[in-house]
Amino acid sequence: MGEIILDVRNQRTAFATGRGMLQAVDGVSFTLERGKTLGVVGESGSGKSVLSRSIMRLLPGTSMTGPGSQILLNGKDLTAMTENQLRRMRGPEMAIVFQDPMTALNPTLSIGKQIMEVLMFHLKMSKRDARAKAVDLLKAVGLPQPDVRVDQYPHQLSGGMRQRVAIAIAIACEPDLLIADEPTTALDVTVQAEILDLLQRMVRERNMAMILITHDMGVVAGRCDDVAVMYAGKIVEKAPVRSLFSETRMPYTAALLSSIPRVTDPPHRKLDAIEGRPPDLINPPPGCPFAPRCRHAEDACNRAVPELTGTADHQWACIKPLNTEAAA
Amino acid sequence: MNYLIKRFQRLLIVLGVVTLITFLLVNVLPGDVAYEIAGMDSSEEEVQEIREELGLNRPVLIRYVEWVTGIFTGDWGTSYISDEDVWEAITDRFPVSFELMILAQILALLLAIPAGMISAFRPNGRGDRIIGTIAFASVSMPSFMTAILLIYFFSLHLGWLPATGYEPLSEGLWQNLRPMILPALSLALVEWTILMRTLRVEMIAVLQENYIALARAKGMSNLRILLVHALRPSSFSMITLLGLQVARLLGGTIIIEQIFGIPGVGRLLIHAVYTRDFIVIQGCVTFFALAFVTANFLVDIAYAWLDPRVRTRGAHG
Amino acid sequence: MAELSQSSGKRAAATAPAQQDRHAAAIAMYRKRNKFGLFFWIPLVWLIIVAIAAIGAPFWGLPPADEIDWVYLQSPPVEGHPLGTDVLGRDLLSRIIWGARVSLTVGFAAPFIGVGAGMILGMIAGYYRGWADEVIGIAIDSWLAIPGLVVLLLFAVVFGGSLFMVCFSLGLLFIPTAARITRAATLNYAGREFVLAARAMGASDFRILTKEVLPNIIWPLIAFILIDIPIAIVIEGALSFLGLSVKAPTPSWGGIIAEGREHLSVSPHISMYPTIVMFLTVLSFNLVGDAIRRRLADVREGAI
Ligand SMILES: Nc1ncnc2c1ncn2[C@@H]1O[C@H](COP(=O)(O)OP(=O)(O)O)[C@@H](O)[C@H]1O
Ligand code: SF4
Ligand SMILES: [Mg+2]
Repeated sequence: MGEIILDVRNQRTAFATGRGMLQAVDGVSFTLERGKTLGVVGESGSGKSVLSRSIMRLLPGTSMTGPGSQILLNGKDLTAMTENQLRRMRGPEMAIVFQDPMTALNPTLSIGKQIMEVLMFHLKMSKRDARAKAVDLLKAVGLPQPDVRVDQYPHQLSGGMRQRVAIAIAIACEPDLLIADEPTTALDVTVQAEILDLLQRMVRERNMAMILITHDMGVVAGRCDDVAVMYAGKIVEKAPVRSLFSETRMPYTAALLSSIPRVTDPPHRKLDAIEGRPPDLINPPPGCPFAPRCRHAEDACNRAVPELTGTADHQWACIKPLNTEAAA
Repeated sequence: MNYLIKRFQRLLIVLGVVTLITFLLVNVLPGDVAYEIAGMDSSEEEVQEIREELGLNRPVLIRYVEWVTGIFTGDWGTSYISDEDVWEAITDRFPVSFELMILAQILALLLAIPAGMISAFRPNGRGDRIIGTIAFASVSMPSFMTAILLIYFFSLHLGWLPATGYEPLSEGLWQNLRPMILPALSLALVEWTILMRTLRVEMIAVLQENYIALARAKGMSNLRILLVHALRPSSFSMITLLGLQVARLLGGTIIIEQIFGIPGVGRLLIHAVYTRDFIVIQGCVTFFALAFVTANFLVDIAYAWLDPRVRTRGAHG
Repeated sequence: MAELSQSSGKRAAATAPAQQDRHAAAIAMYRKRNKFGLFFWIPLVWLIIVAIAAIGAPFWGLPPADEIDWVYLQSPPVEGHPLGTDVLGRDLLSRIIWGARVSLTVGFAAPFIGVGAGMILGMIAGYYRGWADEVIGIAIDSWLAIPGLVVLLLFAVVFGGSLFMVCFSLGLLFIPTAARITRAATLNYAGREFVLAARAMGASDFRILTKEVLPNIIWPLIAFILIDIPIAIVIEGALSFLGLSVKAPTPSWGGIIAEGREHLSVSPHISMYPTIVMFLTVLSFNLVGDAIRRRLADVREGAI
């Protein structure tokens, strides 16, 4: 076992809405070791972004965190920290790359400034050192002509280049944990692989831990150690990437897997191939949240929410898991 | 570029319409200036004579064209009452009004920016509610009432600042500013609320942006996020408003100059209104419209400074 | 609030009470601001008092607003003159109450005139587009280029100060914004299916505008009138302060404040009482208008 960087225990995040309490993340637990990458997969709306913002503690004022929730980063509980303590963690210990690089950079500040301010605040660098380091970082993330680009504004860069800048900002203070929330979803297919490769290289070179969030099973395949599948705010299956593909237990995971685009598919095919819609998170059904859409559902599924069971390595939340005797 | 030309055309038309309407209002309706000059109990012949002398018998449109041509050549006419050249009368007094407006706008911004930021930071939070209540009280207090209260407390009661008067800048900066403080404050205490609300609304939206979330994710302090990351992209509407507010402020200076005895264009206009000195009224209204139009052009330029997307457009198509 | 969670169907009724409470608390947290609170009721009561006082002014047994009391010239509050008298010995309470009639008349009439006219212009511009739109647009831009007070000064000079002219010229100030709002809304609705359908059925333009377009734009305009009432009162105050509103001796708040200005150091009460009354009234209109506007917004979002 390697050094544990992140230990999420029973994270619950809800939002106050006009219709009532929306339980966006509902009892999520996992650990992540240094040097490892955890893939988090799920349909849109399954709570991936809320989970990532819960870890970063970047939630809006209408949010509520469950009383039993704990997030230990390097052994320190983020949920018990003051805003000032958290600020010192964001950057040097944890960092995030957002989905849409078009909106994630400030349009009124040069990209150099946006990198330099992290260095100057956290590493107490002088302006000149910070600028030199910013150019280095831009070079490291593969931005052409870094010494020119450093003075440019986001609108002068392409989407892929902006995402490189966002990555440069994230790794500037060598964080232990990097969260990438659908880092390629908003990008051209042609640059998606480049950005994912870059992330992977950065994580490996700097020996960080990474959470790679995606709704695309295909992205997870080659680039993660473990994979957690999310549905309706819960982790419904978690396993090393190989077992997940070969010994799928959860019907939902199976459905996601069968919707991976194939070479024969027309380009830009949508992944929402699973029929039906995710449940209402304000008034969730009493049983398995996937039951209304599940081909294997039976009466028992509607009675109680299935608990996560299985081995330490491979867990699932289904009373009739696939590929086991119980399913037979 | 095309856009700017189109805007410019539109502004010229607007100026044309403004001058025409003003001119017609003042010249077509009964009770013209000849009566005023001749006095209450003068005979019809005397009035006719004065009309003849001033050329008021010629068709209105011809007089309008003459007057507008005059405006372009710097001949804005001569006051019937004081014999003063209208253009000189206005330009002599405008710097005073301008100073008052600028001071008022600066004070208003000094109040509006921090208040708007505090309000936007936690909408409906305690700070927002307190500021919102103060703002409500503030707009409910028109500038002439504020002026009376300020004079009562700071001049009559405490004796800190003069209640009336004006000192030119040549008397020294402080001598010049001292009597301007209360008038500028009277205007600012109303204007700040509009600026504050506009900034608040836009900043609330900006604070939802992803790049603000990223700034927080970078560990930046709330103060830095508000000042460095959010303020600039939140101020576009407020800047536009600064231009539109010129019209309101010009209106405000009229009454404030009157109360504080400040020799600006507003006072000139009011005096002209009381004495029915129509050519001066015409000139002042035209000048106000010109000032308004110019201010809004300056606002367009300010955009370029605020938004690098506009600034660098030239170099990138 | 309780009906809200029930309206979401059978399932809500079936959930445990604890869950119900959580939902109710969450909903309350989500929108805690749009109830009619003290900031609505207290100002409303004040406005009702002012309105009753003004409407019934002749019946309260007050001394006439222009009656001179030679015994009490420029007097602070004394018996018989609860708010004192002005320089000419006229009863201040009576003058303030009679002045309220002017303020309230202008306050209601001007926004209605302005928003009404602006609505018609805006509908024409937004519905017929083309040159009508262009002409109205230029007219509005020109209107906005002259400071409001200057427009009023011009009108005061040219037409003199009757109450009707004050209401009318003040109403003109509210045209541009109302016209813009209406134009934008009309543009938006004129292209929708139900309007196109009505047109295909052979409905006249007038019918379409009044039956299909108007109901959809009326709420923003009502909200707009609510904003304009206190503004109209304030501007009338400024005009009468300059002596350019209704002619003396008809009392008006701004006029009384201006008269007291000369004597601020000796008899501050002459300016202060009308200032306080006017401030409270304008503030009340602002608070009540704001509360109603928020409520309207909620209703229109279908939240209540
Ligand atoms: N600020 C918020 N207020 C209310 N509901 C929210 C908020 N943010 C997210 N949600 C809800 O939480 C759920 C999960 O959203 P999200 O984490 O963004 O999904 P994902 O990233 O997996 O697509 C969604 O139902 C969404 O509507
Ligand atoms: S518990 Fe039942 S409904 Fe849920 S995934 Fe398993 S089989 Fe399907
Ligand atoms: Mg997401």
